[in-house]
Amino acid sequence: MKKYLPLVAALVLSSGSVAAASFEDAFNAERALHGKGHTFTFEGKEYTTDHPEELEAAAEATEANAKALIASAKAKHKEVKAVGYDWTLTKGILKSANKALKAGKFQEAMNLAAQAKYHARMGIRQAQRSAEDWVIMVPGS
Amino acid sequence: MKIITSLLAGASLALVASMSSAASTGNTLATVDPEADRLALQAFFQKRFPQVELDDYANGIYALDAASRAQWEEMEEFPPYEFDIEAGEEMFNTPFANGKSYADCFENGGMGIRQNFPYWSDEQDRVVTLELAINQCREANGEKKLKAKKGAIAQISAYMASTSAGNIIDVKIPNDKAKAAYLDGKAQFYSRRGQLNMSCANCHVQGVNIPIRADRTSATLGHVTHFPVFRSKWGELGTLHRRFGGCQNNVRGTPLKAQGKEYSNLEFFMTYMSNGLEVNGPGSRK
Ligand code: HEC
Repeated sequence: MKKYLPLVAALVLSSGSVAAASFEDAFNAERALHGKGHTFTFEGKEYTTDHPEELEAAAEATEANAKALIASAKAKHKEVKAVGYDWTLTKGILKSANKALKAGKFQEAMNLAAQAKYHARMGIRQAQRSAEDWVIMVPGS
Repeated sequence: MKIITSLLAGASLALVASMSSAASTGNTLATVDPEADRLALQAFFQKRFPQVELDDYANGIYALDAASRAQWEEMEEFPPYEFDIEAGEEMFNTPFANGKSYADCFENGGMGIRQNFPYWSDEQDRVVTLELAINQCREANGEKKLKAKKGAIAQISAYMASTSAGNIIDVKIPNDKAKAAYLDGKAQFYSRRGQLNMSCANCHVQGVNIPIRADRTSATLGHVTHFPVFRSKWGELGTLHRRFGGCQNNVRGTPLKAQGKEYSNLEFFMTYMSNGLEVNGPGSRK
C-alpha cells in the first residue's frame, strides 16, 4: 500500500489544495490510500471510506435484506442503461447475486448486489462527468 | 501493463496541451462549428504525422504503420470481401415479393451514392445510415428487416459502397436539428465510457498508433471510408456499428444498439470528419 502514497499525494495536490477539493475528491483519495473501513475528516466532519453500497451490504444477512438490495441494484442498473453508460460486467454480477440468493447465501448475494449497484452508480457518475468535461479532449478547442 | 502506462501518459499530456490552448469550446449548439472541427482534427493529425498524406488516412492504421502495411497490401491483392460484393449485388438485384427492388428506394438506383450517407432526415427526425435505409427499403416493400451488424445487410452495403469507389465523402449538416445530432455524436466520441473510463478519442485521436496487444490504433480521420469491413478476426464482413460495439466492449462498456440513434449520430460526426476523403469500401483489416 505504501508505495502508492506519492502518487495519491500528487493527485490531491494537482487538483488544488486539499482543503479546496470536493468531498468526492477527498473521498476518492482517502479510499485509494486506506481502502474501506477507514475514517477521515472533511470540513470538520467525520466520514468513513466505505461506499454507500458497502454500508448497505453490512446490514444483517437475511433473505429480505438480500432481496431488497438486489432490487435496488437492479433499479440502478436500469437507470445507467437508460443513459447509455452501462458497464459490461454489471449484468453478470447481478445474475450471480440472484444465484447466491437462491442458494441461501445471503451475505454473498448482498455483497454482489452492492458491487453491481456501485458499478451502476459509477456509470451514471461517468455520464455526468463526461457531459461536463468531454470538450477538453477536442483538438483545437 | 507497460502499454497502458504509455497510453495514459500520452493521454494526460495531450490533455494538458489541449487545455492550455482553450479558445472556442464547441460543446453547445450555439458554438459548435463542424467545419472548424474537421479542419482542426486534420491539422492535429498533420502536425502529428507530417509525412502522411491526408488521403492516405482512408487506409486506416496502414497509413501510419509501415510494418503491417505490406501484409495488408498482399491481402488486398486477393480481397477477402470479393465474394461478399457478389452476394450483395445478387441480393440487390433480386426483386422483392411485390416486384420492386432496392433500386427503387434509392437515388440513382442506389449506384454511386455511398458518399452521401449518413444523412439527416427532417421527415424521420434522425440520422439515416445506409444500413438503416436498406432495412427501411425492405420494410416499405413488405419484407422483414435484416439483422443490423453482419450477413446480408453488410453484403448489400458492401456492394453499394463498391459502386461508389473514389467518390468523395460529402456529408451535409443542413439545419440546427442536424447540428444537434452532430453535436451528440461529437460528445459521444469524446466522452469516457466503460469501466476502463476511456473515450474513442483516447485511442483514436490522442493515442493514435500506440500498440494495444497485437494492434496499433488508427486515426479516426478516415475511419468510415472503407466500411463495411472484412476483418480477419471476424472471418467475415461487419458493419461500422458492429465495430463501434466491439471497441466499446473492449473498454468494458456495454455496446449501444446498432442502427439506434446514438450510434447513428456518432457515425454522422465521424463521417463529417472524413468529408473530402474517398469512399474505398468495402475494405479489409486484421
Ligand atoms: C482502448 C482503445 C480503444 C478505444 C477506447 C476505442 N477503440 Fe476503436 N479500435 C481500437 C483498436 C486497437 C482497433 C484496431 C486497430 C485499428 O484499426 O485502429 C480499433 C478499431 C476501430 C475502428 C476500425 C478502424 C478500421 O480502419 O477499420 C473503428 C471504426 C473504431 N475503432 C472506432 C471506435 C469508436 C467509435 C470508439 C469509441 C466508441 C473506439 N473505437 C474506441 C482501440 C480502441
